[in-house]
Amino acid sequence: MFFHIVLERNMQLHPRYFGRNLRDNLVSKLMKDVEGTCSGRHGFVVAVTGIEHIGKGLIRDGTGFVTFPIKYQCVVFRPFKGEILEAFVTMVNKMGFFAEAGPVQIFVSNHLIPDDMEFQSGDMPNYTTSDGSVKIQKDSEVRLKIIGTRVDATEIFCIGTIKDDFLGVINDPTTA
Amino acid sequence: MSGEEEENAAELKIGDEFLKAKCLMNCEVSLILEHKYEQLQQTSEDPMNQVSQVFEKSLQYVKRFSRYKNPDAVRQVREILSRYQLAEFELCVLGNLCPETVEEAIAMVPSIKTRGRAHDDEAIEKMLNDLSLIKRFE
Repeated sequence: MFFHIVLERNMQLHPRYFGRNLRDNLVSKLMKDVEGTCSGRHGFVVAVTGIEHIGKGLIRDGTGFVTFPIKYQCVVFRPFKGEILEAFVTMVNKMGFFAEAGPVQIFVSNHLIPDDMEFQSGDMPNYTTSDGSVKIQKDSEVRLKIIGTRVDATEIFCIGTIKDDFLGVINDPTTA
Repeated sequence: MSGEEEENAAELKIGDEFLKAKCLMNCEVSLILEHKYEQLQQTSEDPMNQVSQVFEKSLQYVKRFSRYKNPDAVRQVREILSRYQLAEFELCVLGNLCPETVEEAIAMVPSIKTRGRAHDDEAIEKMLNDLSLIKRFE
């Protein structure tokens, strides 16, 4: 789910940026620094949308750098266990399939794909029901439930399932 | 990490910080990101180079999975859903997935039935009807 939240950060600014454009410099450095980053607590920072408050700068002893505490609003994407969302399939293999929902990758293992769907290899590997009515392949859109998340330094990785009511393919690229 | 273990969106356990935060539906994120992208286009020649991969992927994703395209409809969806005493998170899941039946809505947002709120099937049905009306007249 996407959220609009307020975060805080202490920004260090080199003295060469001091002057009329100090604020602009500070804001553009903030965007460069935080956009695209990911933390386990807040998820992926997608975009800074506004600055709430810039505190008084504090000159650091020994260097000329000044530290500014900044409160800023941003759009973040944070997946939660138990959350249901839509994603598109990026890769299918006999272990299961990978899907993407925004910046996050979700793996659905073949144990978590309904039992009546079987893996078909070929140049377009896919999972298909025995009557061929439902097919999951690259670029299919699926609705899935996140059942686990793993956080590492720069990424959040999710495990999902489509073995539940109202989950599964919502749009097949071949029939659409 | 103990807090991490307990999180469960189905029971609305998403941590205090996010529970109080403003959730965004995909269609809202799409409006925000596109606006930002347009601004970037005006200031630099190659905006795709300026944005992070996270931004790019999110924009693609929300464009693909937005149920409502026009800004007025987006506003209406939020307005209508906010009449039903939903938590922000529940509101956005409903707005994103647009369930068609009461059963589906409860499967998508199990917490809707708990917490002692007066959400009987009729109320949910009415809510879903209102939602589908917006879609139809968009």
